[in-house]
Formats: sequence, C-alpha cells, structure tokens
Amino acid sequence: MTPTEIENYVDAAAAALNLPLSPEHRPGVLHYFALASGLADLVAAHPLGVTDDPAESFEPISLSRDAVNKRLT
Amino acid sequence: MNAPDLLNQSAADMAAAVRAGLTTATALTHASLDRISATQPRVNAFTAVTVKRALQTAADLDARLANGDTTVQELPLLGVPFAVKNLFDVAGLTTLAGSKIERGKSVAAADAPLVARLHAAGAVLVGALNMDEYAYGFTTENSHEGATHNPHDLTRIAGGSSGGSAAAVAAGQVPLSLGSDTNGSIRVPASLCGTFGLKPTYGRLPRNGTYPFVASLDHLGGFARSALDLALMYDALQGYDSRDSGCVARRAEPTASELALGLNGMRIATLGGYFHDQAGPEARTAVARVAQALGAQQVVELPEVARARAAAFIIANSEGGSLHLPDLRSRAADFEPLSRDRFLAGTLLPAAWVHNAQRMRRWFALRAAELFQDFDVLLAPATPCVAPTIGTEWLHINAQRLPARASMGLLSQPISCIGLPVCAVPVWGCDPALPHLPLAVQIIAAPWREDRVLRVAHHLHMTGAASAPVASLG
Repeated sequence: MTPTEIENYVDAAAAALNLPLSPEHRPGVLHYFALASGLADLVAAHPLGVTDDPAESFEPISLSRDAVNKRLT
Repeated sequence: MNAPDLLNQSAADMAAAVRAGLTTATALTHASLDRISATQPRVNAFTAVTVKRALQTAADLDARLANGDTTVQELPLLGVPFAVKNLFDVAGLTTLAGSKIERGKSVAAADAPLVARLHAAGAVLVGALNMDEYAYGFTTENSHEGATHNPHDLTRIAGGSSGGSAAAVAAGQVPLSLGSDTNGSIRVPASLCGTFGLKPTYGRLPRNGTYPFVASLDHLGGFARSALDLALMYDALQGYDSRDSGCVARRAEPTASELALGLNGMRIATLGGYFHDQAGPEARTAVARVAQALGAQQVVELPEVARARAAAFIIANSEGGSLHLPDLRSRAADFEPLSRDRFLAGTLLPAAWVHNAQRMRRWFALRAAELFQDFDVLLAPATPCVAPTIGTEWLHINAQRLPARASMGLLSQPISCIGLPVCAVPVWGCDPALPHLPLAVQIIAAPWREDRVLRVAHHLHMTGAASAPVASLG
C-alpha cells in the first residue's frame, strides 16, 4: 500500500468502526498500520493452497464431566 | 543457614529447610518481604505486596507443621515465597494487567487457577508484579507504574512484558514467579535478567483467571533460578481446566522426576538461517557455548521464519487491538503511550491479513513438526542482544537499525507462534564489553515435550554452562 492508500484506508476503517483517531494519535497509527501492511505483504508472498487451513480451529464444547474424563483417558 | 541467606538459594532448598525444621515458612516470608522493601525502590518489580495474606498463609503452614500434619510435609513448595505478573487474578486485588484503565475495576473474587495451585503446593504469595500494559511490549517501561529496572544493571531494561516477574527472581526477592508469554514475554525478560524461564506448550496450562492479550497465542509459565525449581513449579501448575478455551485436555506429565535422565542420547541441533542472521554477536556466542556444552554440532534451518514472525505480529496486533476496541473508542488517552498507537492500528487490519497469517502459522507448524522427526531439541538465542539501557529507541544488530521495543522479540516470536515448549537458559559474559549482563538461549522441543527442555536446561545448569545468580544489590 502507498502512504496515501494507507491514509485513506485507515481513516475509512476507523470511521466504519466508530473509532475516533485524535490528531496526536493518527501519525502513530499510520506508522504502525504501514508496518503491519509490510508484514502482511511478506505473508501474502508465500504461496498457500486452498487446503492450507488456518491454525485457528473451533472445538465443540461440552461441560459434562463424563466427556472431559473420557478425553483425558 | 538463616532465612535471608536461604532466600538466595533454590526453592527446592527452601522447601527442604522448612520441611526439616531448619527454618519456618514465616521466617522465609519475612525474609522475602524485607528483601522486597530494601530493593523495591531500585528495581520497581512489584505493584502490590500482599503482606497480610503472605504472613497468614505462612503462619497457617507453620501451625500445620507444628501440629504434626504429615500432608503439609509433602508439599513440594512448602513455605516458598512467590509473586505473579499483575495480569493474574489475586483474590482481593484488582487485576491491573499493567494498565491505568483497570484501576477502577472490582477486585478479583478468587485466585487464578495457577495461583491457587501454587498455594495448594505450599507456596506463599507475596505480591503482584509490574508488566507492559496489557502485555503488549518487551521492555516493562510502564508509564503508569514506572519502569522495572534490571537488577544486574539498574540503568537497563528488565525486558517484558513479564519484566517484574524476571526482575523479582533476579533480585532475590522471590525464588519463583509466574508470567505470560504471547510473543516472547517470558523468554525476553528471562534473557535480559538472567533467570531460567519456562514457556510450556500452547494449551498446556489453563489461562482462566488471567487478563488476556491474544487468545490465539497466549501462554502462561514461570521464572526461577534453576531448572529444578522451574520443574517443581511447573509440575504443581499442570492440569486441564475446561474454562480456558485454549487448554488442551491432557493429563499432567510430571517433569521434576525426569531431570536426572540428562541428555540420554537426545538429538540436538542449532537453528541457523534467520536465527543466526537476526542475532547479534553476543547472542551467537551464547548459542555456540550452549551447543558446545551439549555436544550439538549440527546446524539446521526452519523455512520461512521471517514470514512466521510476521504472521505472529499480525495476529497479535489484530486480536490485541480488537480486544480493547471499546476502551480505544472512549478513552484512548488513558492507554500506555508506548503501545496505544499499535493497539489502535491493530483494530483496523483487514480480516484477510489475519486469516492468511493464521494459515501461514499452520504451514510453519507443519515444517517444524517435520524437523522434530529428526531432532529432539533445537537451540536459538532468546534475544538478539543483551539488555539495552532504559529509553533506548533503536538497536543496531549486524548493520541493521531496528526499533528497540518491537525487536527484542525477533527471535522468540516465531517459536511461540507455533506453541512449542521452550526453556530459556541464561549464559553470562557473552558480550566482552558488558560481561556483567546475561543473554538466554531458547531450548526448544516438540509440542508437549516440556520434559526434554527441562532436562537439557538442568544439564546445562549442573555443568555450569548456564546459571542464574542473585544480583548484587546490597
């Protein structure tokens, strides 16, 4: 992203989240967003296939003591 | 040996002395409280000292011993003082997580499970410890509480975000402490303060009762001045708790009884590539010394480490920022100035960046799993350099100019990204210009093999290659 694209995106995304950015905070926010953008580019440059799943996974929840004990055995 | 002298020894020695009637839990607690009073103005590790609770707990233990209660004799941490990062719930204290914003909140109704487990093991809580606000930092230059100072050089940072936890152990205030590690927050301060630090496998220890930072990456663990003490504490902490969404249902796997097995044919290699390129000369020296002490001659590489570190940064930035979005909307000015703008930016990251980062993370975890088919333990520096002075803005590592506060985690972040267990072991005198400062090496194993990292750490301690002396603060 170019510096102008970052400014435009940050202002629009902050507005969408109803997140006020004060004049004293905005330069720092732009700096750190640019840093994250560069790191996101680094990740995006690595080829991943459709079967490369995310590390996050959801596990159905049971509070039953029996279910917990069964898993621990 | 009197209690103040005993306080400089190991937790195992302290418990043995109380068990044998050579001292009392009360005497040890007084020694700890006195040491905190004498050194707190210089170190600033504590944000609360729980004097009344500590003395009552110690008195209860001593009374049980006097009454011939045999069960108390068997407690592994009998009478041992400990303290916790102030993101752990402590009954009767407000859980601050290093912030100003939480100060007005209600006090915790109960101890966090890990605090309760150490209490049940006979340890005596003496207080809560300083940290980077909401755990987002590597320096513990906390603007609300003041910086924690490195006990081995008071002009320097203690590291973070569990800086108070490492400093309290290095200063001899307590022999054990608890902290958390999302991107390096146990291993970085252990490296800079010269203590042993254990970050167990992601999902091993329950996190309920602590203030979260990044649920996808948060680990809890601890600090000690020996691998044996770490193992004793870690064994007391283990156990599944379904109230933590990230806790994995596994039975406890004790480690202290395994330490005597030593290296016993373990296949050990040094991580090269990124972990060499991003390490300063003193960090390379520390790893070389540990590799030599272990007879580890092979150098191996994990692929795409920089991208894994980038993935960890994005996940932490996004999850951490999103968690605090309501307060960032309404009272951004009350956040720590050193991390506020990073939190604000983190709320704005596109979902696709975070999703890709989570996919990169799994890809990298698979590559590490493949490497662990050929090796049991891998070595890497915990930090790129020794502790910088407080207020340092830039680091110069191998001709790179890097922002100091973000870069102390360069070498720890890729490992916590995939949840591997690590013991940080401190090595001394690696920087000829700063021989009084330590730097730790990460002893890394496959998931759930905390036994291996602790066995290697214990071997290094027993052979003198690694050590964690109490700082000479007078």
